[in-house]
Amino acid sequence: MQSDWIVILPHLFLAGGGLLIFCIGAFWKNRPDGTLFITALLSAGAAAVEALAFSGSGTPFAGMVSGDSFSRFFIALFCGISVITLLFSRRYALHRRFSGDEFYGLILFATLGMALAAGATHWAILFLGVELLSISLYILIAIHKSSQAANEAGIKYFIMGSAASAILLFGIAILYASTGEMGIVESLNAPDSRNPLFLLGLGMVITGFGFKISLVPFHLWTPDVYQGAPAPVAGFLSTGSKIAMVAALLRIVTGASPPVWEVIAPVIWTLAALTIIVGNLTALVQDHIKRLLAYSSIAQMGYLLMALLASRGDGAGASAVIFYSVIYAFMDLGAFGAVSLVSLGEPMARADRDSLTAYRGLGYEYPFAGALLAVSLLSLAGLPPTGGFIGKFALFQAAIGADYMAIAVIGIIGAIISIYYYIKVIAVLYMRPTRVPTPHTFPGFSGPVACASIFALIVLMGILPGSLLEVIAVILS
Amino acid sequence: MAVYGQVILLGMMLFVIGGACVLIRRNLIMILIGVEIMLNAAGIVFIAASLRWGALDGQAFVIFIMAVAAAEVAVGLALIVYCQGRSGSINADTYNTLKG
Repeated sequence: MQSDWIVILPHLFLAGGGLLIFCIGAFWKNRPDGTLFITALLSAGAAAVEALAFSGSGTPFAGMVSGDSFSRFFIALFCGISVITLLFSRRYALHRRFSGDEFYGLILFATLGMALAAGATHWAILFLGVELLSISLYILIAIHKSSQAANEAGIKYFIMGSAASAILLFGIAILYASTGEMGIVESLNAPDSRNPLFLLGLGMVITGFGFKISLVPFHLWTPDVYQGAPAPVAGFLSTGSKIAMVAALLRIVTGASPPVWEVIAPVIWTLAALTIIVGNLTALVQDHIKRLLAYSSIAQMGYLLMALLASRGDGAGASAVIFYSVIYAFMDLGAFGAVSLVSLGEPMARADRDSLTAYRGLGYEYPFAGALLAVSLLSLAGLPPTGGFIGKFALFQAAIGADYMAIAVIGIIGAIISIYYYIKVIAVLYMRPTRVPTPHTFPGFSGPVACASIFALIVLMGILPGSLLEVIAVILS
Repeated sequence: MAVYGQVILLGMMLFVIGGACVLIRRNLIMILIGVEIMLNAAGIVFIAASLRWGALDGQAFVIFIMAVAAAEVAVGLALIVYCQGRSGSINADTYNTLKG
């Protein structure tokens, strides 16, 4: 019984930190500047340390959450994502006047939602995690009150997200009606996998996941929401919430019985192929950086889905998916973080520096943020010596090793196309004359710290990926 | 079994009605109501399935669904009120400035 509580200690830190921040915001009016920020950082950090340091045993609370090393690894990753988001948004939130308790508290609650979704072994916990994440994000996206675009993005994400949650929930209900099992793995080991009711439920669950990971054809909300949302929140949304759903999907894929897998595999194959093709082709014609990053993140999810196909059996695919999730988290956070750093000086009326023409010669105007953006984009394109190269290599190697030749070829063609639009942005950054320089705003200390750590992580994972791969091998064994 | 099958069918019909409401109506409040109908349709299916399997976990889930639906409505209505205050319209078609 005691070990039950040790397993959910990271969750308790996140929830407690969030509640503490709300209480401080409500009752401590003349607090020193930065109290909420420090509290949020400490809570997320403590949760990460706890997740990495202590090992609980088995599946506590009647098998509803998992305390295995898989979920603890992901909790630590989500805490890392939220720490970097907090660092990037510190100055950004101050400038745009939304650095109240609701911003910091909701970041922690969204992280808790991700942790629950990735660690769930029971449909109820999965649903509650997804909802906690989504409801926090509805508010976080619309949190910049004087921005019309953020308002519109919030309402769009709310409508699409709540409809997707309802579809996911109805799918879970149908699965329960046809199998009588609430455990995720148990319900996917149904003896009668051709039962139409079961197939309907499975289809709706996959549709719900498709909306949340923004797979084609469920991706239409993504570019609008990313364009309207504040840049640090868009980074948080595109990394944390998607990786949480990918982790849950990985659990579904590896836990399904062989006859059920025969039904799921072609669906995932089709979604992956469509996502890679449509994501990359649409990204080619974008002239706004946040929309371009949105389509790029759609395409990246296609590559991850491709390796998910190969993640049954010897685990090469699963290891590639986890490895790429980590790298993807840092490079996408880096790209959105750079956008938020160069948007600090923008006047209140304009949300972010977004149009590509505003990025002309930015590499000289903002050397550090420009370099971060360039390295993140190179890594997203999968060029050496960045972590993205090793990650993409592992993904394609896993797909080819498991005899998914056709999808691997589609993926490689997509990756080659994608190099064009990433390089296009880098060319704009460095090879065009500078526009009239805007006066610099003091970026604070937190932004540059996040900038440097992401820079180091991307390069480090490109040069020395061995230690992370070893950790992942331990998780999967 | 037969009775539970009919209740599940009722849940599916409600879900389709809610989904149609989300897709067809352009008023944000009606869209929110459509989502609520979809969530509660899932609740009905859970209750029927719970009776079918003679287990309580489906019914316990319904209580969570109610709490989640209430939280979602609270946030959704706040967003809609805020939209109304900004642009004076709760027609979903007026929110189309983000394009690429």
